[in-house]
Amino acid sequence: MRRDLALAFCLCLATPAVADVAETVTDHILPGYARFSDSAAALGAAAQADCRPAALRGPWNAAFDGWMGVSHLRLGPVEEQGRALAIAYWPDPKATGARQLVGVLAAADPALLEPGAMAEASVALRGLFGLERVLYGPDYAEGSYACGLARALAGDLANTAGAVAAGWGTPGGGGYADALLAAGAAGNASFLDAREARQALFTQLITGLDFIADQRLGRPLGSFDRPQPARAETLLSGRPLRNVALSLAALREMAQTLAPEAAATQAALGRAITLAEKLPDPTLAGVADPSGWLKVEILQQAVHAARDTAVAEIGAALGVGLGFNAADGD
Amino acid sequence: MKPTLFALLATTALIAAPAFADDRLAVLETYADIAEAGYADSLATAQALQAAVAALVAAPSVEALAAAKTAWLAARVPYQQTEAFRFGNPIVDEWEGRVNAWPLDEGLIDYVDMTSAAVNEENDFALLNVIANPRFTLGGAEIDAVEITPALIGEVLHEAEGIEANVASGYHAVEFLLWGQDLNGTEPGAGARPHTDFMQGAGCTGGNCDRRAAFLVAATDLLVADLEEMAANWAEGGAARAAVLQDPAKGISAILTGMGSLSYGELAGERIKLGLMLHDPEEEHDCFSDNTHNSHFYDGVGIRNVYLGSYTRPDGSTVSGPSLSALVAAADPAVDAQLRAELDASVAALGSIKAAAEGGMAYDQMLGLGNDAGKELIEGAVSALVAQTRSIERAVAALGLETVAVEGSDSLDNPTAVFQ
Repeated sequence: MRRDLALAFCLCLATPAVADVAETVTDHILPGYARFSDSAAALGAAAQADCRPAALRGPWNAAFDGWMGVSHLRLGPVEEQGRALAIAYWPDPKATGARQLVGVLAAADPALLEPGAMAEASVALRGLFGLERVLYGPDYAEGSYACGLARALAGDLANTAGAVAAGWGTPGGGGYADALLAAGAAGNASFLDAREARQALFTQLITGLDFIADQRLGRPLGSFDRPQPARAETLLSGRPLRNVALSLAALREMAQTLAPEAAATQAALGRAITLAEKLPDPTLAGVADPSGWLKVEILQQAVHAARDTAVAEIGAALGVGLGFNAADGD
Repeated sequence: MKPTLFALLATTALIAAPAFADDRLAVLETYADIAEAGYADSLATAQALQAAVAALVAAPSVEALAAAKTAWLAARVPYQQTEAFRFGNPIVDEWEGRVNAWPLDEGLIDYVDMTSAAVNEENDFALLNVIANPRFTLGGAEIDAVEITPALIGEVLHEAEGIEANVASGYHAVEFLLWGQDLNGTEPGAGARPHTDFMQGAGCTGGNCDRRAAFLVAATDLLVADLEEMAANWAEGGAARAAVLQDPAKGISAILTGMGSLSYGELAGERIKLGLMLHDPEEEHDCFSDNTHNSHFYDGVGIRNVYLGSYTRPDGSTVSGPSLSALVAAADPAVDAQLRAELDASVAALGSIKAAAEGGMAYDQMLGLGNDAGKELIEGAVSALVAQTRSIERAVAALGLETVAVEGSDSLDNPTAVFQ
């Protein structure tokens, strides 16, 4: 495969630049962040009006849906100031978020609920997963500390989501979108040429698929002899499989914008999405028994297959290999 | 005319190709020489630790414990510099978990404070406490742990049930046994295990001092044996040396992949930024000893070593040779100049953390909520490491290479990967 990619790179040099990066930015990334930012803002506003769980679970789910449209993007504004972790700190293998929430509820420090204070708190406490623990934990009344905490967390999330969307900006607005769109322009230190921009986006696509296979599916799968259903993502709110389906759909959209001609990748992603939609196991709890485990593993294999297809097909089309990413290391 | 020209070009190509290959082989020889020296130094300093541990358990005293701690700290200096050989060399990656696994659920090994973060709901063995329990059940099997041996630690306890937090071997297990838990949070102070935890008979504190001493000795012996194995892998005729020399393109890719993966995903992300984002000293790399500033610093030095083709040994002598830097400079001088400057900058930024820690602000204090000076120091190091990663990618591109796929990272066999 290395030789194939090298050959494709040579061929690419001879062909004119394609609109891949521009289409991905304008048709996938910017609309995705706008949807996430809007849904997070709606959650923040809903919490201002009524911070009880019954009122917030709907808006919280909408915000989580919004995040699934962009959670695979780990470059630019979301990587600044740890925003990606402040939005979604998962997995949390040492249960840091739960441990810190217990401490915060016990301390009931009013200072933490002051405007802006939550932005300084631990990322494990904050974001979509912090809110999930509050909204799906023991019920609480308006005026309680937990209610104020939900309000503060929702406001903080709305701020973070807004900051990411603002950081990307709009084409021509001088934000991170322009850094990608004007790759290779004088003074652009982020992307010295179009190849670097393509590589950065390609790396997001592939690591996004890896994350679904290895984390969203791999964690509950554990091993055949020792499945770990309790390790599924957003288990409290009962949406582990929904996350997989939505994230796959977002990655299919990204692949479509990045390499519209990559038919094999589209087909492979389509197969994975169909499997996810047809799996009658919304919480992935079925991994606890052998037949359920195998069904989830089949889905995982389909994601692996889509990933390998995309590496070969889109990597060749763009003339790039994978760059370094946050998931490197152990 | 044409055939002649063609023949001439072909001849040139034939001459040029081996010359380029030789350049790469010479760079890889340097790389392997640095690895050989680094692991040999790690082994020698671990053997000094082994002697200090023997003295401690033979006659526990404040001084003997302090001497063992000093030996452990000295052993970390060469070892951390070898971390640059991770993530590109499968032989190292398959082995590394035995010697430097982290973070750990230390309650597997010994007593812990039950109100501390040692409790881990995803790990049934987080509070097993082998030192207090000579017999227990693991994976449905009755385990006889009456005798604590390197085999028990390495083959039964370490990564028990496939859970990576079950760390029974390596530097951090020994560190825990020497220092104990650091219960000061983000306030000043490291672990404060008393030397009497190793006192035999009357005067024993913490209970089971005989088993604690046995565990410490066995874990240190195992560390020495593991380092012997890796030092041999890089010596003349060793498997790791042969692997990088076998395919020059792959070998050079391995150097750059290790540099980039350690800089970004591992060091900048999992080990440094995450701790700050969580304000949690549990995320400190050398959390018992408060030696994290040195661990990070020597990681940074190690990344620079393999690029510049030069390693300074604990005795002050150097191992050096043809460098990757020169190879990159021949392909693209601007990329090389920038990368060298950025490597210096990251070592300087990590050096600032080291200086601040030596000046009294321990690394765990830097993680504390509201410590703006600490936050600035840590963010400076993260920025420098992220910046150099981009240049490492550019060096990969300049040499016409691809990074080596990092096998096993972030995969099923590693469910505890945090920084995604």
